[in-house]
Amino acid sequence: MQAPSVSPAAANSPTVEATGLRRTYTVGEPVHALDDVSLSLPAGSFTAVMGPSGSGKSTLLNVVGCLDTPTAGTLALAGREVSGLSSRELARIRGREVGFVFQTFNLLPRLSALENVRLPTVFGAGDGAAARERGREHLERLGLGERLDHRPTELSGGQRQRVAIARALVNDPPLLLADEPTGNLDSETGATIMGLFEELHSEGRTILLVTHERHVAEYAERIVHMVDGRIEDVEELAGAGREAGADAVTGGGAGSETSAGTEAEAETSAGTDAEADR
Amino acid sequence: MKLRESVRISWRAIASHKLRSTLTTLGVIIGVGAVIVFMVMGGALAANFTGEFEDLYGEDAVLFVQTETPIEGGFGIQFSEAPIYTEHDVAELERRDGVAFVAPIGSIDAVQTTVGDDRLTGGVSVRATTAEGFRFDEFREGRAFDPGANEAVLNVQASRAHGGVSVGDEITYTTADGERHTFVVSGLIVEDFLSQPASMYVPTDPYYTTAVDTPRGTTERGYPMLVIGAEDIDSLSTAQDGAQAYLRGPSDANALKSDGDTIRVQTIDDLVGQITALLDQLTVFVGGIAAIALVVGAIGIANIMIVSVVERTREIGIMKAVGATNRDIVQLFLIEAVVLGIVGSLVGVALGLGVGAIAVAVLGWPMVYPLDWIAIAVVVGIGVGVVAGLYPAWRAANVDPIVALSRE
Repeated sequence: MQAPSVSPAAANSPTVEATGLRRTYTVGEPVHALDDVSLSLPAGSFTAVMGPSGSGKSTLLNVVGCLDTPTAGTLALAGREVSGLSSRELARIRGREVGFVFQTFNLLPRLSALENVRLPTVFGAGDGAAARERGREHLERLGLGERLDHRPTELSGGQRQRVAIARALVNDPPLLLADEPTGNLDSETGATIMGLFEELHSEGRTILLVTHERHVAEYAERIVHMVDGRIEDVEELAGAGREAGADAVTGGGAGSETSAGTEAEAETSAGTDAEADR
Repeated sequence: MKLRESVRISWRAIASHKLRSTLTTLGVIIGVGAVIVFMVMGGALAANFTGEFEDLYGEDAVLFVQTETPIEGGFGIQFSEAPIYTEHDVAELERRDGVAFVAPIGSIDAVQTTVGDDRLTGGVSVRATTAEGFRFDEFREGRAFDPGANEAVLNVQASRAHGGVSVGDEITYTTADGERHTFVVSGLIVEDFLSQPASMYVPTDPYYTTAVDTPRGTTERGYPMLVIGAEDIDSLSTAQDGAQAYLRGPSDANALKSDGDTIRVQTIDDLVGQITALLDQLTVFVGGIAAIALVVGAIGIANIMIVSVVERTREIGIMKAVGATNRDIVQLFLIEAVVLGIVGSLVGVALGLGVGAIAVAVLGWPMVYPLDWIAIAVVVGIGVGVVAGLYPAWRAANVDPIVALSRE
């Protein structure tokens, strides 16, 4: 598998740079799903977002993935401001620069594994045979070379999630977004999938992962804790590649106390958090 | 998004709901099928009506003079029986350029015909003409009558009505006044077109007695119809123009005809064209009723597509999440609707031709393939798909991916 294609200009800027993001839903009275969230993900970083349900972690992921538009604040992907782009441009970004992995896999039931993987390549100027070949390579790499023509219903949960990961990778996006990718898998399969994410990270991809499980979040270099739409705390974890972007990760939360103190492996990062909190 | 990819994905959606897709296209199939059946039958009816007529006279340099009369609140062609064409008109017409002869045709008020002991009351119409009137007829047997020799010509329908009359047999007609006239059959002509009644032809002189007072102060024989023979096929249009100019100008007929009636001088082609045009109008009218089924079909497609959009909201969300633009989604759903429309219309055309062929075979009419209507049906099928697919596709494109993805 080739390395993510990052243009020289983009290499200098963080993959994701969000400032003062706000997302307000008005259902009766306004609800702030995101409330003044600032977050920077350096290229090649691996970040987990944790928080209780309703904390806004999925909304954050959707906004970063250009599926949702923020009510206020700015978002730049690879140095390029995305607020104000047309829906057509946003669709292109979702297809080319971002790869989504979901808890419920979200494969199209009528399409085969290979066709599902190819799906992001058929929108826009699809490049037919080359895309097909790429899809096959990704599936083979993820151990599904024998199941190219299987329908999702003929695959196990872990296999489905691997098809979904292959789909996220097929256009070689620099940023991978995962929303509870192990939520529907047993712990052993979940561990295999997280191993895959670790591997993709080591290849230089930027990963943003949403989870409510601590042991899943610990695959990341840092954990962003969210409560009520705000970043409460950013916890740096000791791990490989951690130095790459540790200082660049900033949490624009409410300046709360670090909650990471109880976690043994997080203790080393407490200082960093303190620095990060203005 | 490439068309081929959209067609592939759309087709997958259609094929995975076979029963539903079939029922959805049924509306279009029935609509298109019904239109095609009626077009086949209308075309076959016209071909049957005019085919033999053309076979008999198509090559002949002949003109028919008749008076077309409007039908009150009706639809179609009706010719008047008013005897407005006088002996004077016949003589005048014979002097026009290109005219070889003019044969008048008139009805004799006969109530009964008798061959031996076989009496038919009202079964055979008796008509008067001249020997020249048979110039273009096909004789199955014998020849035209000799005016001086009490001879008559029968058409084969009349011969059949009397159980097979042949040349040399005697036939008698009786008028309402009780006059009896007996003739020797000199010939049998083929007149098997346009539901011609069984007829017996006798010489105008002396048997045809209908007379009218002319504007010139005379009283002479008047006929409801004339047959004009042109010298040859090249002089047909000269003869037609000359005859028409005279008849619509200084003729007795023009003075005698009722207001609103029109004197027609028509070639075989004109007659065939007139009948065909009439049948075409009728066919289109009936076909238009059948086309209502197409509208129902379109509503069926739209309905099922809307259901399909709701059902596939999550899929739409997935496709948007992996990079589908609104346009891609519109394309997918529109193509799905158009494919349903095209498949429906193609099956409808096949079904319509099949049913039409069977119906036509049962009726003994020649099969015709209404190519223009087949093309129209396919175009309409595509149009139905587009129209029916637009709104559902628009709704699909406006699905919010966040909402869609959070649905189970």
